[in-house]
Amino acid sequence: MIGRLLLNRLADLALVLFSVSVIVFFMIRFIPGDAVAIMLGANTEVTPERIAEMRARLGLDLPIVQQYAQWAGKALRGDFGTSLWTGRPVLDEIAVHVWPTVQLTVLSLVIGAVLAVPAGVLMARLRGQAADAAMRVVTVAGLTIPSFWLGIVMILVVATVAPGLQALGYVPFSQDPLGNIGRLLLPALALGLPILANLSRLVRSAMLDALSQDYIRTARAKGVSERKVLYKHALRNALIPFVTSVGIMTGYLLGGAIVVEQVFAIPGLGRLILGAIAERNYPLLQATILVVTSGFVFVNFAVDLLYLAIDPRVRA
Amino acid sequence: MARVSLRSTLLAGAFALCVAPASAQVLEAAIDQSPAGLDPHIITAFASFMVVNGTIYEGLTAIDKDLRVQPGIAESWTVAPDGKTYTFKLRSGATFHNGAPVEAADVVSSLKRVLSKDIASPLASRLAAVDTINAPDASTVELKLKEPAAPLLTSLATLAIVPRGFEADKDSLQKQPVGTGPFKFKDWQPNGFIQLARHEGYWKKGAPKLEGVKFNIVPESATRQVGVSSGQYAMLPNIDAATALQLKGKPNVKLAETLELAYSLVGMNVSRPPFDNAKVREALNTAINRDEIVAAALFGAGVPGGPLSPALKDWAVDVKEFPCYKSDPAKAQELLKAAGVQTPVAVTMIVLPRQDIKDIAQVVQQQLNKAGFKVELKTPELGQFIQDWRNSNFDLFASTNAGSPDPDDYFYRTFRTGGSTNVFKYSNPEVDTLLDRARATTDTAARKADYAKVQKTLACEGPIAHLTYGQLFTALRSNVQGFEIIANRSLSSLADVSVLK
Repeated sequence: MIGRLLLNRLADLALVLFSVSVIVFFMIRFIPGDAVAIMLGANTEVTPERIAEMRARLGLDLPIVQQYAQWAGKALRGDFGTSLWTGRPVLDEIAVHVWPTVQLTVLSLVIGAVLAVPAGVLMARLRGQAADAAMRVVTVAGLTIPSFWLGIVMILVVATVAPGLQALGYVPFSQDPLGNIGRLLLPALALGLPILANLSRLVRSAMLDALSQDYIRTARAKGVSERKVLYKHALRNALIPFVTSVGIMTGYLLGGAIVVEQVFAIPGLGRLILGAIAERNYPLLQATILVVTSGFVFVNFAVDLLYLAIDPRVRA
Repeated sequence: MARVSLRSTLLAGAFALCVAPASAQVLEAAIDQSPAGLDPHIITAFASFMVVNGTIYEGLTAIDKDLRVQPGIAESWTVAPDGKTYTFKLRSGATFHNGAPVEAADVVSSLKRVLSKDIASPLASRLAAVDTINAPDASTVELKLKEPAAPLLTSLATLAIVPRGFEADKDSLQKQPVGTGPFKFKDWQPNGFIQLARHEGYWKKGAPKLEGVKFNIVPESATRQVGVSSGQYAMLPNIDAATALQLKGKPNVKLAETLELAYSLVGMNVSRPPFDNAKVREALNTAINRDEIVAAALFGAGVPGGPLSPALKDWAVDVKEFPCYKSDPAKAQELLKAAGVQTPVAVTMIVLPRQDIKDIAQVVQQQLNKAGFKVELKTPELGQFIQDWRNSNFDLFASTNAGSPDPDDYFYRTFRTGGSTNVFKYSNPEVDTLLDRARATTDTAARKADYAKVQKTLACEGPIAHLTYGQLFTALRSNVQGFEIIANRSLSSLADVSVLK
């Protein structure tokens, strides 16, 4: 069962990666101004011959289809080329930027998704009471406050309360584990709190939906404890939409949270992609998009596996 | 309730985890953009120059804070009477970051690298006049020119000396720069930071005083401001007036400022109507109120400027001498009438996608529309802007240019017939004669007279309406000592900077 699913997903992956690579390859080249033009900028003194030489040096003088064929041929052998600007291997650049993004994704999911379950269940249990209403108001606020604003406010507050605190930037975990996690906490909060607001509302309504089902009444009539009714019977059914949502959010987070990365000066995938587009750094952009796409597909695969674990009917 | 306590717990954790260990004498700077590479002969971006020029790399000559030429790696030089042979004597005791002494062969190799086809350096044209480069002995370099070239000494300040052996290598220095400057490259995390460390073998005794410099890459302006206010960053180099004014008066933050070499401008396409008519160009200049632009778009931090920055005290003509700089919409309308064009003159202005330029363009648009023009603004993406600029596909454009300490470097390529950045297609035989003559003599008084004439011709009828020169700022923590801001944005004075405890 899992084997077949995996095979299907791998076939999907190949197809998706191919289509994405074609789309990205041609789209970025349709934007006016190529890498050499951007490199030189406006008002630099260069002759047309120099521009032609630079273009030739970067292989941009070939017909576009030939460029794609060359790129794809090398990519299939695992060679994604070097950054047009820095000359560093593209995969090295990506490796540096992947970790901040992965860490940020995990941390904000821990804050957002893990806490959303108890929060949502609590709201469902307290339905109609003042506490439920209050929490719902808070979650609406959480949903509507944009992450970047929350981020700037947090930076300002921390800078006022504790000016000596190094809250900006990023240090790799291997260099300074405490500094690493300390610096990621604020951005993870900025990203995670809106997710928490969103998901806890989702869990609440899914729980309310589940709690109104006949089998819950039957369970209660059988004398099953309220705790067991909530967590074993209702929650399990409420988890399906929750897992779907978490999967989609994870996919987006893995693509890089550009705005939060900008605000907190974190070198993640979002800024890598943004920079690559602005610089027309073709090989870097292509490889990064492929990595992000693969991440999305694998997260979807993980979600499918979770469905299997949660809902026996899917296994049939 | 549960959430509030959770948040405070996490924040308390953050407080406990990341209180900074006081790092000894490494200056933390924050810059907005990641350098695109660190090879001094290939890079073109402001962000790259700022990190490497004068810090990692030095040229044969150097530019001081008054924008005058000083000795760099060359201790002294002589110029033959015919102006065609330059002999440089290298400084003894200068070493590269890899420990090797700087010898004449390295200088020859560096200059040849700039000219090499493999490297395709955009700086090659700065050596266009050079015929041969020789090293008569290990500490002497001799440049023979095809014709005299007055701006050569200024240009050499921008051409970094690297060790021999990189002449055909276009990748290594981009990632791992090796120079002679006060700081050597230590570490680079793209989009994160670039760290430089003290070069122990630096030729200037007692410099650098710092252990190192770390350029943090912080794209968000609000974050940089908080960072310098709270002391996480000790320096925000080369910031604009808008950012600087917000930092003015913050405790423990001080501002260094100088008048920029860079200027804002409106370019006019002389190869098609209506700006092929000199009267229309004069009308545009007369319609513009430069004082108003300074007040409205630069927050008062700048001055109206002519073809050369007032920072170039030796060269610039006072703007009071340009008749069209007296803003007069009625007179502009008369000029348009005299030019025989139909009013309102409908034209499109493409705008460089940068906030300060967009602000300036909007003020200019309003001023022109009051004086018989009808200007439509377009703000394309950067790539599109550059393409239109290079292909002369515009009526008007609004942009900014980095200036140069020697007038020739800007004037010749911009206003000479067929000049490499003369995208306006401007051609004026009189200006051509003056520019040719001024570059071929080293007689400063004669050059000054010629460039004064050029400025007076260009100010009102040239293809560029020069608008303003802004004030350039660097924000520093108040315990940072010895920093001198330089109008060309070089951070070379970091060699003399120290941080008081």
